[in-house]
Amino acid sequence: MSLHKIWLVLKREYLTRVKSKSFIIITALTPLAFVAFMGIIVFISISETEVEKRIGILDETDVLVERLVELNETRYFDVSDREIEELRDEVMEGELDGYIVLSDSVIEHSKSPTLVHGGSGGLSFLSAVRSDLREAVREERLTRQNVSDEIRDIFDTRTGLEAIKLTEEGESEDNTVFASALGFVLGLLIFFGIFFYGALLMRSVIEEKTNRVLEVIASSVKPIELMFGKLFGVLSIALTQFGIWILFYTGLSIAAAPIAAMIVDAQMDSLPEEAASEAFDPAMLDNLVIEPAIFIYFLLFFFLGFLIYSALFAAIGAAVDNEQDTQQFMPIVGLPIFIAYFLNTKVMQAPDSSLSTFVSIFPLTSPINMISRIASTSVPAWQIIVSILLMILTFFGIMWLAARIYRVGILMYGKKPSFKDLAKWIRQ
Amino acid sequence: MAVINVNGISKSFGKTQAVNDVSFEVQKGRIFGLLGPNGAGKTTTIRMINYILTPDTGSILINGLEASPETQKMIGYMPEERGLYKKMKVFDQLMYLTQLKGMNSQDAKKAINYWLDRFDATDWKKKEISELSKGMSQKIQFIATIAHDPDIYIFDEPFSGLDPINSETLKEIIIELRDNGKTILFSTHRMEQVEQMCDDICLFNNGKAVLSGNLREIKASFGENTINLEFDGDGTFLDKLENVRINNRSTNFAEIRVLDHQNMQDILKLAMDHAEIHKFERIQPSLTDIFISTVGEDNIKKEEIQ
Repeated sequence: MSLHKIWLVLKREYLTRVKSKSFIIITALTPLAFVAFMGIIVFISISETEVEKRIGILDETDVLVERLVELNETRYFDVSDREIEELRDEVMEGELDGYIVLSDSVIEHSKSPTLVHGGSGGLSFLSAVRSDLREAVREERLTRQNVSDEIRDIFDTRTGLEAIKLTEEGESEDNTVFASALGFVLGLLIFFGIFFYGALLMRSVIEEKTNRVLEVIASSVKPIELMFGKLFGVLSIALTQFGIWILFYTGLSIAAAPIAAMIVDAQMDSLPEEAASEAFDPAMLDNLVIEPAIFIYFLLFFFLGFLIYSALFAAIGAAVDNEQDTQQFMPIVGLPIFIAYFLNTKVMQAPDSSLSTFVSIFPLTSPINMISRIASTSVPAWQIIVSILLMILTFFGIMWLAARIYRVGILMYGKKPSFKDLAKWIRQ
Repeated sequence: MAVINVNGISKSFGKTQAVNDVSFEVQKGRIFGLLGPNGAGKTTTIRMINYILTPDTGSILINGLEASPETQKMIGYMPEERGLYKKMKVFDQLMYLTQLKGMNSQDAKKAINYWLDRFDATDWKKKEISELSKGMSQKIQFIATIAHDPDIYIFDEPFSGLDPINSETLKEIIIELRDNGKTILFSTHRMEQVEQMCDDICLFNNGKAVLSGNLREIKASFGENTINLEFDGDGTFLDKLENVRINNRSTNFAEIRVLDHQNMQDILKLAMDHAEIHKFERIQPSLTDIFISTVGEDNIKKEEIQ
């Protein structure tokens, strides 16, 4: 193999892409899109998604309705003086969202009351009404039993949990939630990265076939040199892009704490004392500074995952003439990586389970699942080493197969190959 | 001295035997034509000479060296399926292709600028191929083939798809290269191009080299066994001739190949009895005729050679 030729191919692949307008646009827009996406998620989760529903309470006990109205005065209305027929009509016409008839047996025999409603509202609405009712009934029963205030306090207790992470350097503030989220996001980035850049490489191989420039190239370089050059060219593009984004994120997270603190300070002045202390703690942002080691692992696992899958993508590109024909092969290549993506939720929930351990070591899923584990838990060093070694071996295995397909496929035009053909090419 | 030495090569793809025990030599400073119908094995042979494919058996020597990445540098190759990167600037593209052939960037730059200038194409340097017309990109393709100044030039069906002006340009380049001591090998299924340009030929049919050698000697060895006849009048007398093959016939013209050694004067007499003769000429057979005679009429599809 001639390194000089690989270098020439790599340089062309890299420069023609990096200089293109689409590269600059994607590099600039992706973080913005990402920030916007996060913003939308945060906005949705904090904004009141539900329009308040109006529930009529026909109270035969005379005591529960007061407690319910006290709990949520926009939701519950006292309609004890009305007829059931009347309430049914109002629900049908949409003036009321629903009504509940409360009898004494609800308090005395814990009978479940029935909510009659227009059929819309969703699960969170039903569970909100249920917990309101539970609280009202419990309070009433405690009152009827003349329970002392001390015992009432016991019922009001809400025990929290503070977690502290023990590391070599000593105790540090635990950030499990953030770490799991980070692990998931990094796994997701690798998933998209492999697909995006793998497809880029595949298109680049197909482009050389459709342009009919491939035979001229083949009379100058060996297929394996061409393949290595293109593979590492696209990889360099990916690393450039990720490098820019990581710099962007690091800059942002360093700048974020003081900026956020400034905004919070400004807001606190306009808020009542109590609300302000609950609203935001600037120290939380310290947790968002990601350890550099995680980025290094991220790049390493992306690198290996990309190599494994790109070799396959390049082989598909070499086997076919146009992008439509890639469709029969894509599911086969895509399946393990999709499985890894779906299992990543499980990995995030239980990073130390045996399933998580297995998929983080299995070479076709480990690029995605191992990085999620590394970010969210402390993975034993041997597992990381084994997974890396397996990925390297898999890469060479797949590269060998892909190079054989590539060698024959680059001179094949016009015919859509079957799996049988590919097997023949590998043996040839 | 043989620049290209093809020695008993065979190549099959699955059950198809594409090339079957082919041998020939290409001498330095000559134009060598590979001819034969489509599917005869010409392109496969050319790809093996270019080390894009390797023969199953047999050997290929280029300037005395076994075909290898090293010998690829000695060859400028323009395949039949040709093209360039559409979204790449002309100059960058030529630099890339020329450097891949092993030329260093300074020499490549000089050579590319020289050829761009010769083709009046200097203004296109910064343009992408997709902005150029077909004729223009064909010129860029020539430059890509020859810029690294190899000893050997191989063109696979070079004239197919070329516009007439570029066809003429390419012919001039080929002859100029030959006059500068370079060696040219090209394949074609168009016999008249071979007659106009080639010094030596190799005839291919069904994966085999059926005839090879110096074009003039080959033609001479067949003797002046063909009659060009121009006449005015009823041409049906031609059907009465025995032991001849009429290759080219129209209302007042016929090319008659005499198969046995019958007296050609008898044919002239018969013709004079039936029509007014404008021209009667004894010539060497055409290459088409030689090809048919060599492989036998039954072994070829006529429409494939012209």
